[in-house]
Amino acid sequence: MALLFLALVLQVESAVPSDPSAVSISPTGTSALAPTRLTAAADSLRNIAIDERLAADALLRIGDLVVLSATPGGDGDTVRVAAITRGAADPAEVARADHRIRLHLDQLQTLAGYGDRVDRFAIATGEGAATDTALRTINDAAFGFRAHRSTDIAVESSRTFAVVDRFHRAIGIITIVASATFLLCILLLKVDERRRDVAALRLIGISRRTVVRAVVIEAALVAALGSVLGIGIGWAASAIVNWHYRGVYRTPLAFALVTPQVIVIAVSLSLALGVAAGWLAARRLVRAQPLALFGR
Amino acid sequence: MRFVLAAASLQRQGTRTLLAVLGVAISAALLLDMVMLSTGMRESFRSLLSRQGFDLRIAPRGTLPFDTDATIADASAIARTLKEHPEVDAVSPVFGASVHIARDDATIAATALGVDPAVQGDYELLEGTSLPDTMSLVASDAFLVATGARLGDTLRIAAGYDPQLRTWLGRRALVISGRARFIYLPAEQRAIALRLPVLQTMAGAPGTDRVNLFMVRLAPDADADAVQRWIEARSPRVTAVPTAVAIEQVDARLSYFRQLAYILGAVSLIVGFLLVTTLVTVSVNERVGEIAVMRAIGVSRVHIVQQIILEGLAISLAGTAIGLLLGLGTARWLNGILATFPGLPEPIDFFLFQPRAAWTALGMLVLIGIAAGIYPAWRSASLPIAATLREEAVG
Repeated sequence: MALLFLALVLQVESAVPSDPSAVSISPTGTSALAPTRLTAAADSLRNIAIDERLAADALLRIGDLVVLSATPGGDGDTVRVAAITRGAADPAEVARADHRIRLHLDQLQTLAGYGDRVDRFAIATGEGAATDTALRTINDAAFGFRAHRSTDIAVESSRTFAVVDRFHRAIGIITIVASATFLLCILLLKVDERRRDVAALRLIGISRRTVVRAVVIEAALVAALGSVLGIGIGWAASAIVNWHYRGVYRTPLAFALVTPQVIVIAVSLSLALGVAAGWLAARRLVRAQPLALFGR
Repeated sequence: MRFVLAAASLQRQGTRTLLAVLGVAISAALLLDMVMLSTGMRESFRSLLSRQGFDLRIAPRGTLPFDTDATIADASAIARTLKEHPEVDAVSPVFGASVHIARDDATIAATALGVDPAVQGDYELLEGTSLPDTMSLVASDAFLVATGARLGDTLRIAAGYDPQLRTWLGRRALVISGRARFIYLPAEQRAIALRLPVLQTMAGAPGTDRVNLFMVRLAPDADADAVQRWIEARSPRVTAVPTAVAIEQVDARLSYFRQLAYILGAVSLIVGFLLVTTLVTVSVNERVGEIAVMRAIGVSRVHIVQQIILEGLAISLAGTAIGLLLGLGTARWLNGILATFPGLPEPIDFFLFQPRAAWTALGMLVLIGIAAGIYPAWRSASLPIAATLREEAVG
């Protein structure tokens, strides 16, 4: 009985055969690019909402009349564009250039010859245990149906994105190894260049320990400055990447983000490598005879 | 002599040389991977679509094959029309539906394809026979594993379920006549193929004389674009997609990976160039005195430049050779990750080693290594001998 008190929310778009492009849309005007304006006689027409991608591609505006049909060129309903919507950013659909139309459930059922059928129900439940109870009750009572937790469906439907995420991480590991090697090499060279300065410091009596500290601090400073510059370049690069791909895929999704976590990892890695390279090179330099460092 | 001197110079700074070679190796590996990614995807899809020799795919207007649930009505009439064209060799209709197999307490869902076994291009038979009659089916390995069935077994398969009447719809007893690899489906997908009229009948009204797709094989010298225009003029409810266009559409969807490959490939080339340039420049700056002595005892400028370029070349070659092995290993790893894309057909490889593209990219890296040494080498060989020797001697 508890099931009767649950709020049932029909996802209208889910009643569309899994891809809305299966429902063709054509303006009632003479040209697809010149849709008919709303007239007084059309006031009894039913309304639909279209997404902004479709509005842009078909040059549709609020008030335009269009014909919806289930098959290309088939009979259909004349409807009025009442709203233009913007879908939430969904990584799973980023590569699909779908057009979406939302219309009243009964109208779509009639249009698509679906009868009294829907693809799924979305059910709002109370907090915590209410979801478990609802899930169990539905699955026990309903024969031929299966209730799933929204989070499970989200996990399943975002598998594509999860794969891309794993791919990005793998590429990230490779680039980190490459940049770490590059950084280590450059810093070793940088410290090695200071051999004459180190020799001079040693000859005027500065201790090995102090020399090593000075070189390590210098290497750390270079690494820190490089990190700051790198953050700036990374931020600019991410802005370019987002601008480019948002345009390509027409989505508000962020493709590259410079997060505090990313900055911490990059700066820590850079500093650690800088200090390690500085220490290794400095230790090698202070062990050599000062005159040998002068090339004598 | 040049080789000996170059080798001695690199050995003298062993750690530095090792790190540089390692850096170039990683750059080369990344470059190779990105070249494999950018060219491999396209080639892999081209190979998949061309595998069965079909040149055109015909889908409901405005859709890609099996990209939606939309179907083509009056399939028989369209098939007849298609066969009228003199350049059309074969027409293979395909209808897809979900089917259910009741086993013990569980119901197993699978994808079913209705095909004409004489011209089908959706599966490669591995064992048994290919749909000898209307009572047979061909199954994928994943299907056989899920159902526990073997060749010769009879299964009761339904095309739907009416929850109100609690009865199966379009139920039939079918015998497994063959085991097959479904070319366009993921390996883990439970799939079967039936004769087209059988599946259409099982599906009931939604399947009546409907198909999702026609695959069309053309005569060897046929003009696919001309046939495409002819088909779309005769059947305005369909879209004919030549293989080249299908590849372009897939390419457009996966443009993100291609662009990522270009960017990272360019970055790896730049990193390789910077690494070798820095190393050679520092190395040369440290040896200006030595180079001045060589010049003073009569060694030619060209000889010195060649020796320094050889050092850059040695680092680049060693790094590239290691990078080739490293790149093939990492490509396999990355391909393994992308192969888990849901719904990806089994034969698709994102990373495909194509010798020409790979050698070109790695050759560029080596050339960059050579170019990186030219300027510092020429500059050091051009220094005034006496002034440099004096500077080095006085300090």
